[in-house]
Amino acid sequence: MRNLLRRKAVERDLDAEVNGYTELLEEENVAQGMKPGDARRAARVELGGPEQVKEEVRGVHAGVWFETFWRDVRFGTRTLRKAHAFSAFAIAVLALGIGASTAIFSVADVVLIRPLPYRDPSRLVMVWEDASFVGFPHNTPAPGNFSDWRAQNRSFEDVAAIRDATYNITGEGDPEQLDAIKATANLFPLLGMPPELGRVFGADEDRAGGPRVVVLSHGLWVRRFASDPTLIGRDIELNDAKYTVIGVMPAGFSFPDNDAELWMPAQFTSEQLAEHDSHYLRVVARLKPGISVAKANADLSAIALRLAQQYPDSNTSVGAYCVPLQKDAAGTFRTAVLILLCSVGLLLLISCANIANLLLARAAGRHRELAVRLALGAGRFRLTRQLLTESVLLSLAGGALGMLLAVWRRALLARMIPANFTYGGGLDFRVLGFAAGISVATGVLFGTLPALRISRLDLSVALKESGGRGEVGSGNRTRQFLVVSEVALAFLLMLGATLMMSSFLNLRAIDPGFRADHVLTMRTNLPQPKYKDLSRRIAFFDAVLERVKPLPGVVSAGYVSYLPLTMRGGADGFTVEGQPPRRPGEVNDANSRAITPDFFRTLRVPLLAGRMIDTRDTSTSLLVAVINQAMADAFWPGENSLGKRFKLDGYNHNVPWITIVGITGNMRQMGLDVPARAEMYFPYTQAQYFSLRDLAIRTAGDPMRPAEEVRRQIWAVDPAQPVTRVRPLDALLDEELGPHRLQAEMLGIFAGMALLLASLGIYAVLAFTVSERTQEIGVRRALGAQKGDVLRLVLGTGLKLVLVGLAAGMLAAFVLAPWLESSLYGVRGKDPASMISVAAFLLAVAVLACWIPGRRAAAADPMVALRHE
Amino acid sequence: MVDQQPELLQGTLDLLILKALALTPLHGLGIARRIEQVTRGTFCVKAGSLFPALHRMEEEGWLSSYWGESENNRRAKYYELTEAGRRQLETEKEKWGRISLAIARALEAS
Repeated sequence: MRNLLRRKAVERDLDAEVNGYTELLEEENVAQGMKPGDARRAARVELGGPEQVKEEVRGVHAGVWFETFWRDVRFGTRTLRKAHAFSAFAIAVLALGIGASTAIFSVADVVLIRPLPYRDPSRLVMVWEDASFVGFPHNTPAPGNFSDWRAQNRSFEDVAAIRDATYNITGEGDPEQLDAIKATANLFPLLGMPPELGRVFGADEDRAGGPRVVVLSHGLWVRRFASDPTLIGRDIELNDAKYTVIGVMPAGFSFPDNDAELWMPAQFTSEQLAEHDSHYLRVVARLKPGISVAKANADLSAIALRLAQQYPDSNTSVGAYCVPLQKDAAGTFRTAVLILLCSVGLLLLISCANIANLLLARAAGRHRELAVRLALGAGRFRLTRQLLTESVLLSLAGGALGMLLAVWRRALLARMIPANFTYGGGLDFRVLGFAAGISVATGVLFGTLPALRISRLDLSVALKESGGRGEVGSGNRTRQFLVVSEVALAFLLMLGATLMMSSFLNLRAIDPGFRADHVLTMRTNLPQPKYKDLSRRIAFFDAVLERVKPLPGVVSAGYVSYLPLTMRGGADGFTVEGQPPRRPGEVNDANSRAITPDFFRTLRVPLLAGRMIDTRDTSTSLLVAVINQAMADAFWPGENSLGKRFKLDGYNHNVPWITIVGITGNMRQMGLDVPARAEMYFPYTQAQYFSLRDLAIRTAGDPMRPAEEVRRQIWAVDPAQPVTRVRPLDALLDEELGPHRLQAEMLGIFAGMALLLASLGIYAVLAFTVSERTQEIGVRRALGAQKGDVLRLVLGTGLKLVLVGLAAGMLAAFVLAPWLESSLYGVRGKDPASMISVAAFLLAVAVLACWIPGRRAAAADPMVALRHE
Repeated sequence: MVDQQPELLQGTLDLLILKALALTPLHGLGIARRIEQVTRGTFCVKAGSLFPALHRMEEEGWLSSYWGESENNRRAKYYELTEAGRRQLETEKEKWGRISLAIARALEAS
């Protein structure tokens, strides 16, 4: 800013100078007899064009600037190379700080900053139903609601819907299971990404009974079809039917995430589009220009109210809202990465304070050199600039090293990114720009204070032999301030790390309601037309289980619709026998699953009352169900629910009453930190509308050992059935805990570095204080002070600083705590136990850091100390 | 005219400017006219060469400038020699002397 103002002043000055010159010339000409008009013209000619003259002058100034800059750089490099111990240490500290910052930034860039691969992605939103009254605030919309939102809204250019599907691809190559998206025809125009090859499907193909066409993802096209350009127009085999490939999307395109590899027209029937009761879509919309998210939300709320009146049975208390697509995709990761960014920022600040301190300490030894420079005519401004150049050189070197560190660790960083994003390794220009920028900023930050202070040396004092201790003494206050702030920041970081670690341990200690050890799991998603018939499905599962159970190492095996924590929903409404009919807006809702008899035994979920589903429950016997404790407590409070009956609502209109025969323990379904939801389990033989998907096998030894054999048995039943997600159940829990663990680990590493730097800072300042006060200490000793007194003196000085720092840190923690709360589990942001233990630990380390200089001061010979200058 | 030899001119121009300001401060046009005068018209310095030279020499620390009033009470930028400038003048004079002596000797040699 100041430079800008200076430049304007310089320009004005130059302008005035040139004009003045011209006027003087004019005057001369008039004095020689020319007429005023001619005089002016002649003056202009002689001048040769004011702009050119000004340009020349500007060039001179620029040239001089570059010359001094380059001179400063060369001089700075030489100085730093001579002080190699200091420079190496400073570069190392900076490399850690800047490297960590760049690493976290590259992660943040991918998830928060980099625009998604669509046209004008900031205008895209996801639209959700708000069914908080049944515990689904972020609910997948029903097609009926989607249609009504699309027809009635005034905020969106267009609204599209997608649903998930899986297809088994057969034909050339191994059978493979692919995730597919069925979308309304307006999806691709809405996203605005044209295909790389061929075309996308149009509205004429998106009708019930329309043609079987499909668009491939780039990855699938490369992987399975070897980038064959003639694939367009040819057929591929999906779920035993022929689909025509009409297009291939470009590389880097994905919607809604990286898993989807096929896009097909949704081909909804008009009945489906009027359905307000089944919730399974995802809806994306593009805001009209000039419409904000807030306005769109108001619009949607109004429509939701109207729908609630129009369809009271399905839509009472159901709201609607939209979320920007990028924010929605980032989810909870957004907060996590922001926390990490702030933490790494704190670490960088500590590094800066540390190096600033070191620079000030070094200045004490450079007095003579700097005084000479001043005497030789370098202005104070130039001296400051030279010192600042040194600092920036240091931090750029540190930054370069740090970048290398960040790239080296990119595999670790890639683990932090949620699945919908791809991490490129962090070498794009934005990250490099950030690294360069933050290096320069860091250099300026830690360099300015020392540079200003040093350049203000009193010349006469500095040249004296004694080295101007008085001047440096006042510098000590700055150094003390820096140390106090280091301690405060280190406290904050250590507290954050402790809270995160506690959170993680709390989460890990949660009993998920089942035993995940020694359980092998795999998924067999049965394709639809082939296994439409319930009896065919039953035959498949029976055959597989019959083959798998006798295998060596297998203790028990069972099938379930969805393993716990893999489906955050899948609920159905129901009516309880004997209870008054529910009013619109009040819904009995529970997760619905189908199981085979041995499933609960395999996962060691206890049976609390009644009996488990077994072989007597067939397709023709009495309809039964087993419910979990949460459901029993919620819908039959205070009663024994065994023998009670209920009936499923919705599309299962004609199903007779279902009898409850057993009650099981609760499994955590929605998340480790979410209490168990009401859940009902139906025998697989009676589940017309539910399929089984996940196979769980309890093994005697290593859960992965029987995996190959189990797969072979499944293929013996159906060779074309893909088997996916073969992994132990432990891995599922690890996945849930993974992000929390990683965050706690990262913060722990930062906190460790912060503690190290802060202790080094304390040590340095105390060592300096001691050397400063050597004479004073000598006097004290001569007057009778003991070694212990000297030690106490030094310790006292040091601990005073640390305590002030801790106090400041605690104050800051109180202020900042609420912001961290949402990421913590089982521990509050202001947890006193954590604060006290962190403070105590920091204090202990600080005492150690004070001890060494203290001991050295106490051990010094008093006679030597007295003579010290 | 002197503009045909820019390289030689920079070293020469610096010397001429320093000499012109040796006695009193002058404004830009005054410097040009003085050089013209003392070299009896051999060197006519245009603004395009004079201004860059003046600014460069000010950056080097040989000149300092201030705003003052001209003979006819117009505002003009005046330049004067600094201590360093005076020293530079001596250095340049000596250098110039050595160069011209060397060239003279070279021309005399057969």
